[in-house]
Amino acid sequence: MTPEISLSAGALSKSYVVQNIRTQALSDVSLTLHPGELSLISGPSGCGKSTLLSLMSGLSRPDQGWVHALGVDLGRLDDAKRDAFRLAHCGFVFQGFNLFPALNALEQVQIVLDYQGVPHSQAQRGAARALEMVGLGHRRHLRPAELSGGEKQRVAIARAIVKRPRLLFADEPTSALDSTNGAAVTDLLREIAHRSSAIVVCVSHDPRLIARADRVLEMEDGRLRHDRRGRSGLSFKEISP
Amino acid sequence: MAVALARKTLLHEWRRFLPAVMSVGFSGVLIIVQGALLLGIVGTNALPVTQSSADLWIGFPGTQSADLGRSIDAGVSAELLVDPRVVRVEPFLMGTGDWRGPRGGGISVTLLGIDTRPDGLGLAKALSPGTRALLEEPATVLVDAGDRDKLATAVGEAAEINGQRVRVVGTTNDMRAMGGVNVVASLATVRAIDKSLAAADNVTYYLVGLRSPEAATTVRNRFSQHENRTRFEVWTAADLAERSVRYWLLESGAGVGFIFATIVALLVGILITSQTLMAAVAASTPQYATLRAIGVSFPKLRRIVVEQAGWVGAVGLAFGLAGSLFAALLARLNGIPFALGPGIMVLSGGLVLAVALLAGLLALRRLRHADPAALLR
Repeated sequence: MTPEISLSAGALSKSYVVQNIRTQALSDVSLTLHPGELSLISGPSGCGKSTLLSLMSGLSRPDQGWVHALGVDLGRLDDAKRDAFRLAHCGFVFQGFNLFPALNALEQVQIVLDYQGVPHSQAQRGAARALEMVGLGHRRHLRPAELSGGEKQRVAIARAIVKRPRLLFADEPTSALDSTNGAAVTDLLREIAHRSSAIVVCVSHDPRLIARADRVLEMEDGRLRHDRRGRSGLSFKEISP
Repeated sequence: MAVALARKTLLHEWRRFLPAVMSVGFSGVLIIVQGALLLGIVGTNALPVTQSSADLWIGFPGTQSADLGRSIDAGVSAELLVDPRVVRVEPFLMGTGDWRGPRGGGISVTLLGIDTRPDGLGLAKALSPGTRALLEEPATVLVDAGDRDKLATAVGEAAEINGQRVRVVGTTNDMRAMGGVNVVASLATVRAIDKSLAAADNVTYYLVGLRSPEAATTVRNRFSQHENRTRFEVWTAADLAERSVRYWLLESGAGVGFIFATIVALLVGILITSQTLMAAVAASTPQYATLRAIGVSFPKLRRIVVEQAGWVGAVGLAFGLAGSLFAALLARLNGIPFALGPGIMVLSGGLVLAVALLAGLLALRRLRHADPAALLR
């Protein structure tokens, strides 16, 4: 049985103008991502992988092409509706952990549910559960300044998964972490993908992450070059330019 | 209750917000202190009114300020007493004189002539019955404690006003005037000193005491009928005091100066507060962008910034009020007229909160940088 297809993009192109120079960040990229697996977009810096993540998560709009997420054509949504879509379905983990210095770990996570309109006690329980999942239940009352880099990223992951998103996007989640923490975060993302049957997309050029991903999409010069199954090695596809 | 992000950030990063709080507070202090000083100084022109306990004041038609009273016909008192609601009618005299103290110094003074009976209405709040009684002796005067140096005369010493010998028998408090010097005496003494008042038995004002002060407006309206309008005018005490203050605020230009200085204080407050809030927003841009990424709308982010501005305003205002009360204390200790009333406090409170909110609105522009896509570049 083929898994339910729930995030796909077709013929995506995007260019930026920086200081009057037009850069083609993405050219004619098409792909389909499946739930229940950790998909990794990899490639050298400037290859367009972050742009691809931005388009697929509805953070920005493509110049050409389309993105269908959970049966919704993101291109047809106005800004407010895309906000609402992300609020309902999308979780994000960024390279910089982007935690609020004033909030403790529990509050960092809880605030997401607050904005979803979840009642206070329920939000608090949900946040505590998410922190337990990332192994930080006992550190919930600490502020970012009192947490290590790895712990901060785990708080950020808890913040991303607390609303049980069907789409989880992570941008270089391990690049600021040492090997132990990097491996822990990687395992965590894999586990989330397998356990929650969410679509987990990760952008990274970290070899540790590449080794553990279920699927690796390699990019270069704004194009998708390789699409291969990771550890299971079930399939390998060379994409002709 | 949801996580109070705005408030927690404010408390956690209080050093960052301190300049804004201080600038809001100083704007508040500046406005309140200036306003209270101005009202205090201008209000000294209404001292004869505010320090008396008359319900109604009868004076020359069109008088613009209590200190600018002119003579009215003494016959008016009989007409007033006809009304059963009137229990007291008492003359009040205002004259001028040239003071010469034993240790030199010539200075123009304002003579305030009052009925010296223990229950007299004139300056009842400034003088105790015992002090009033001192004035029953002819050619005795009271001077304000704050004016003693100016008059170069101590209590018990003699001085000359318009060449007439008088003796200082005591002091008043809170009767210090902006321009001249208030010298209080009995009606007879004032008439003896100021020849323009001696010539006729006209009075400057009649002070009216009513059976019930609540009837003041009704009684005023009764005596303000058309046929009386050319002979005298009737005000409630509050009316005349307010009229005096307003006249001097507008006439002296001090009011315009106050408005100008207030605008400057507000502009500086807005500038510093908005810069501080902008810096705070800029420092939190990645966090705000992350909230945008997970779908929190711009209006909700704006609410965070505006709420912070509101807190900055409230805390700054509290500091401002505390500072102003301290200034009021200093003024009181130094005998400086300082009218820190609820009006000026509410006005400055409103202005200062407006400063903070306006600064918050200016800082909102920085939120535009909170673009989640920028986190991915």
